[in-house]
Amino acid sequence: MIDFTNDTLDIGNLPKYEEVPLNAVSKNYWNVVVINLIIFLLILAAGLAALLYFSVASRPYIYVIISGYVVFGIILFLLYKTDIGRRGYAVREKDILYRSGIIAISTTIIPFSRIQHIALDEGLFSRMYHLGQLRIFTAGGSTGSLHIPGIEIDQARQIKEILMKQINLAE
Amino acid sequence: MNKDNITQQDFSLPQKQSASGIIVLFVNSLQKTVRAIFIPILLIIFKSKDSGNLATIIITGSILLVVILAIVTYLRYQKFSFFLDEEKQEFVINEGIFNKSTLSIQLNKIQQVNINQSLLQQIVGVYSLEIDTAGSEKKEATIKAIDHLTALALKQRLLSAASLHEELSPNNKTVGQPDIANTPFLNLSIPTLLKVGITTNYGASFVLLGGFILGLIQLFKDYTSAFEIENSRIDQVLDRGFSFFSICVLILMALLLVLVTNVIRTLIKYFNFQIARQKNALAISSGLFNRKNVLLKPNKVQLFAYSQNFFQKRFNLLNIKIKQATYETADKEENKKTDIEIPGCDASERDEILKMIYQQVPPTGIKLIPNYRFIFLQIMLWIVVPVSISLSIGLIFHPAFRQYTILTIPYIVVVTTMLYFEFKRHRLYVNEEFIIKRSGIWDVEHEIIEPHKIQAITAKQYFWHKKADVGHLILHTAAGLIHFKYGNYTKINRMVNFWTYKIESTKNDWN
Repeated sequence: MIDFTNDTLDIGNLPKYEEVPLNAVSKNYWNVVVINLIIFLLILAAGLAALLYFSVASRPYIYVIISGYVVFGIILFLLYKTDIGRRGYAVREKDILYRSGIIAISTTIIPFSRIQHIALDEGLFSRMYHLGQLRIFTAGGSTGSLHIPGIEIDQARQIKEILMKQINLAE
Repeated sequence: MNKDNITQQDFSLPQKQSASGIIVLFVNSLQKTVRAIFIPILLIIFKSKDSGNLATIIITGSILLVVILAIVTYLRYQKFSFFLDEEKQEFVINEGIFNKSTLSIQLNKIQQVNINQSLLQQIVGVYSLEIDTAGSEKKEATIKAIDHLTALALKQRLLSAASLHEELSPNNKTVGQPDIANTPFLNLSIPTLLKVGITTNYGASFVLLGGFILGLIQLFKDYTSAFEIENSRIDQVLDRGFSFFSICVLILMALLLVLVTNVIRTLIKYFNFQIARQKNALAISSGLFNRKNVLLKPNKVQLFAYSQNFFQKRFNLLNIKIKQATYETADKEENKKTDIEIPGCDASERDEILKMIYQQVPPTGIKLIPNYRFIFLQIMLWIVVPVSISLSIGLIFHPAFRQYTILTIPYIVVVTTMLYFEFKRHRLYVNEEFIIKRSGIWDVEHEIIEPHKIQAITAKQYFWHKKADVGHLILHTAAGLIHFKYGNYTKINRMVNFWTYKIESTKNDWN
């Protein structure tokens, strides 16, 4: 009981999560997203081409379909661009936080003492650019867990290491 | 005294199940086997025309089966043992005749110990003991036949050992309290249960009854087609019968039936519902045919919710749900099992239970009110869009529907009232030690959590709300979400920082 203190807390002086400088996701992650988008758009283009080839009735609409396809593709790229620009994560002394979202920007904070387990994934294209995805799970179920893609693999390993150490400390 | 016997039992040596329980074990395995082979046997009997030999074969076969089952059951009983490893702080169960398996459970992982009794177990006089555990590696152990004294003693040992390290923490005040296990402080009488049955859970009974009636109709149809009764005659009767008056009577009958099923269901499920205080836990038991016993440790409570609708308010009744950690399983029913429901109690009894769990009745503290944008979006979604669609259909595209457009007026009135109440009841109360969220339209629910039970915090804002300083707050707990919408974002952020500080500075574990 000697080191027990009970000073009045000034809530205004607590560390503010909203002012924490965030690490953006890796610049290379944009390349991974572009590869995935191009693959998706190519498959879509193949589908549309097949439609135009086999269905005579759809041919008069060829310009509508093509312009729709182009607009859709541009919107998709723009959305992903803003999304990636908004994303950011930070590891503090006692917790990890992650910000994301296109329409609604949400920030989630997970204290180290509440982490159940951690996973580090590497996708096929991510590996080409030495990137990884960190997944952090809590007892709060699927909504209470974090998925942070596009972290440089060395850094991701480092963060995982730090978190593992903190979990073991907490127990 | 009896009590001394309970605590004196030694569990460090391997121990078998209760001997009279062999009957229960035997009947259980017999049931399983019969269920498995029943249909194939029936098929064989019907397929083969030869009658004389078959009877003898089946009779000898079943006698043989019973004998083998008896031997297997006996061997299994012999090989099944359980003991408490004091050194490792583990509860160990050994079982298996040929394939031996050992299940060991760390005592501090034990979440709940249940003692149940099925009808057969009631006849033989044994109980089954179930151990629920927490943690990512979910394990469950069951001892199927155990006598009452041993069950109680074991339960006490398991839970007291489990909470040993918790007793040392200074904010556990239950240590000094006298053990008054045998005097329940809450006992729901039959009149109370009747009131509960009348006022709640219409939905579940409605579904149950609906299924029953559909089944009956199907049966009736099968019956008529099987006996080739003229369908047309029945249709005629039905047509003539369905006048407006008889429909009214039918609806009234259906409502009455729902009410009656509701009352009966409540009576069976919660018959003789009791809550008693024990050393470190609450003992809850209920049920008419299957008596259910649950032991709840206060520090395992993740979320405490109570709700009340208009009728319940009249009767001064509350419905309480005490939620523990759920683990994601494919089976939804499995998740529900950890919720403890107290169907009917009054406000003072609720406060009594709250005191037992939190050592105090959570004070309300600062009130947070959602922005008017909350109701604005809801009105757009539920009134403006559907009404304009239906009006444009009725007045412009399909004039035939014009006479029905008048119906939009009662719709607007009802939905506006509902949305208004939803908005008015959406509140968050915050103080140092508790977070209380109120919500609901018909059933007004209060959800209470302690900040150190939070697993993760999310603050969310739509980009067009930045100027208005409006945002949302989501608290993730092991028993579900607390979602507060359209609050003052500055306040929400301050709160997020405060709770983060609380979680990270406390030594209280969430589980």
